[in-house]
Amino acid sequence: MAEEKQNLFQLYRFCFLMLADAAKAQEVFHATLREAAQLAANGEAPRDHLWFFCNARWRCLEAGEQGLQAEDVDLEQDELAEWAPSQIEKLEPQQLAVWISGAPDPQRTALALFYLDEFSYRDLLSVTELKPPELSKLLCDGRRQFQAWLDATFPATQP
Amino acid sequence: MSAPQLSRKDKVLLHCAPLRDEHVNDRALRTALHHARKTESFAVQQNFDKAAASLVQAIPIPQEITDWIPTDTFIAPTRSRWKKYAQNPAFLATGTAILVIAVIGIFQLVDRLNRFPGEPTARRLLTTASSTHAMMLDPVKTDAGALGDFLFMKHRLVHYDVPPEFAELKTLGCRVFDDEDGQRVAQVWAVEKKMQFFLFPAERDAKTGKAREFSGWRNIEQERWAGVVKEQNGVCFMAAIRGNLKDLAPYISKKKE
Repeated sequence: MAEEKQNLFQLYRFCFLMLADAAKAQEVFHATLREAAQLAANGEAPRDHLWFFCNARWRCLEAGEQGLQAEDVDLEQDELAEWAPSQIEKLEPQQLAVWISGAPDPQRTALALFYLDEFSYRDLLSVTELKPPELSKLLCDGRRQFQAWLDATFPATQP
Repeated sequence: MSAPQLSRKDKVLLHCAPLRDEHVNDRALRTALHHARKTESFAVQQNFDKAAASLVQAIPIPQEITDWIPTDTFIAPTRSRWKKYAQNPAFLATGTAILVIAVIGIFQLVDRLNRFPGEPTARRLLTTASSTHAMMLDPVKTDAGALGDFLFMKHRLVHYDVPPEFAELKTLGCRVFDDEDGQRVAQVWAVEKKMQFFLFPAERDAKTGKAREFSGWRNIEQERWAGVVKEQNGVCFMAAIRGNLKDLAPYISKKKE
């Protein structure tokens, strides 16, 4: 299996998806790298690339608790539509981040990591600390909820 | 063409299916993907995910970060840990087999190192020692060291000498007999700890007829009897005792001229 390399910018994108706030994402990103550097200086460098995302995840969740909290409501769900890609193309990255960061954790982490398109299935399970059926349900529900939101936001695109 | 039926397990896995093939490193997931490759619903899901992933890649990186970190900076890849390999069934089976072979090899090596020419005879005589009573021997009360001359004079046994380590021990009796190979064996009963000595011809090379020599003391243990054996001038000497090798260790550790 080819060794995976994670571009450090993906770590920032992960933070951004988790927080939907560039300043906070940057803060978490820097804090994570600082901790990694300190560990490396002490001879305990993180040997797992997932460490960065696990560490950033908890920092993001901590930072997210300080701001406005999304309401705990059951979102509508729609079947995935064939025209969904054209709906998504109309979005700004910020809008997607707002939607993902509003999801409750661990769904928030699962969606953010999944759409970074950097991780294997096992990596996702490892970072989210979920069991396969749990991760599957969260991603499936997330897609359907996002589709419902897309349909509500861009109703004209439906045939 | 009808859509293939997907199992519940396949469906669970497909919801987590990564977009890039290189991230599919799970056998069950690969199988599920194979089953779902031609289904319409999976194609819709993949297109949905690709569009969302593209949007994520469009997230701009702040100037402060791009100034600070070069574009091609990567997080070090995961090092393959030995535990990961150890958990692989193939490595586990191979490792176990190698371990078993190594253990057997070590046992055989140790066993081989402990072997010495004349060992079968010594073991036989250890059995003899366990079934001998002092009464069966001719009374000979002297120092064990003096028996060499006695055996030579009376039985014409050359070099049947008790080594210096045991030469000072007092004897109670002695006898000479032929063992089952027709070899002349001298058996001595010592006072101390009811110890018995055996002197017998060293094993000979079948081709040359020469005695097969070995240096130092060799140990044997058998059915609660222990013996230490030494070869000198083509004759083996064995001190045998009921007990273990620890009981004989003080004698052979003594340096004697």
